[in-house]
Amino acid sequence: MPWDLDAIQALVGREVVHRAPEPFGRAAFRYFAEAIGDDNPIYTDPDAARAAGYVDVVAPPTLLMETNQYVASRGRDDAGYKGHQWDLPVTGCRLIRGGNAYEFHAPLYPGDVVTATWRITSADEKQGRDGRAMLLVGSEARFTRADGTLLAVDRETLIYQELSA
Amino acid sequence: MSAHDGGSVLEVGRALPPLERTIDLVSMVAYSGATWDWHRMHYDRDFVAAKGFDAPVVDGQVFGALMVEVLQDGLGPRARVRTLNFRFRSMVYADETVRVTATRVAGDDSGGASGPLVFDLVVDVVRTPRRNHAANERVAVAGTGTVEIVEVAEVADAHGAPS
Repeated sequence: MPWDLDAIQALVGREVVHRAPEPFGRAAFRYFAEAIGDDNPIYTDPDAARAAGYVDVVAPPTLLMETNQYVASRGRDDAGYKGHQWDLPVTGCRLIRGGNAYEFHAPLYPGDVVTATWRITSADEKQGRDGRAMLLVGSEARFTRADGTLLAVDRETLIYQELSA
Repeated sequence: MSAHDGGSVLEVGRALPPLERTIDLVSMVAYSGATWDWHRMHYDRDFVAAKGFDAPVVDGQVFGALMVEVLQDGLGPRARVRTLNFRFRSMVYADETVRVTATRVAGDDSGGASGPLVFDLVVDVVRTPRRNHAANERVAVAGTGTVEIVEVAEVADAHGAPS
């Protein structure tokens, strides 16, 4: 097995905090909206946003959960990646995401400084249909702004799939 | 108006107008930039070929964003997405076309008449440019979402002054 389940389960409860080094700006909302092709004016036009009941332009909701944007600068790995990761003691595996469960509690506005607090919540293993072992790691992030208001929660399942049986 | 009125907008069993999107490499690069996710899986054809994939892999979180778009566009400016819950069934590759469908289903009624509207959400791959692709039409993501239809004046008060 490319992991030691006891060692992985000992990490349940481990927490990592990423605090954005600066407030969100309007350009980030517009950029994300253009990248996904969503032309909803609440992301870019303050009047349209107010007419819809917001106090200013709001972020496209799932932009908030993109934790990489809060991670303190560090070197890129060979795959070009420099974002949030757990660095679990697992080798010879393919990492895939099982799914996400989002709760949206309050909108994200320009000027908000976001903190993402991630925690490992579970670790289990099971056998895949093809006989290969899988390690399932549950994690949860709470996204808050500087005054402590909870903006959103993201529960994510990571699947480490053994490369060969 | 309360969330109850959203029910008259869309009956249980009816679907919102679906969204179809071809996710090309340019939009994948744009999404990688917008989310500070520079992983080569999402844009580097040589890198993904060496890993055994047909083409760069679309970041799964894109589909959460598209689900929000379908719900908000279909339900109007008073719609507030409260939850999204989805599981990935198969990967989506550069230049494939997806269709995102939201179908209203009965809620559990625990919220009473003014509880949120509940939707089944499905992302189907409906077109792929590579004839030799093993699995052409397939479900990529499936999940549920809940949406509240809010009273606009109350919302403006509830959030106070902009920061």
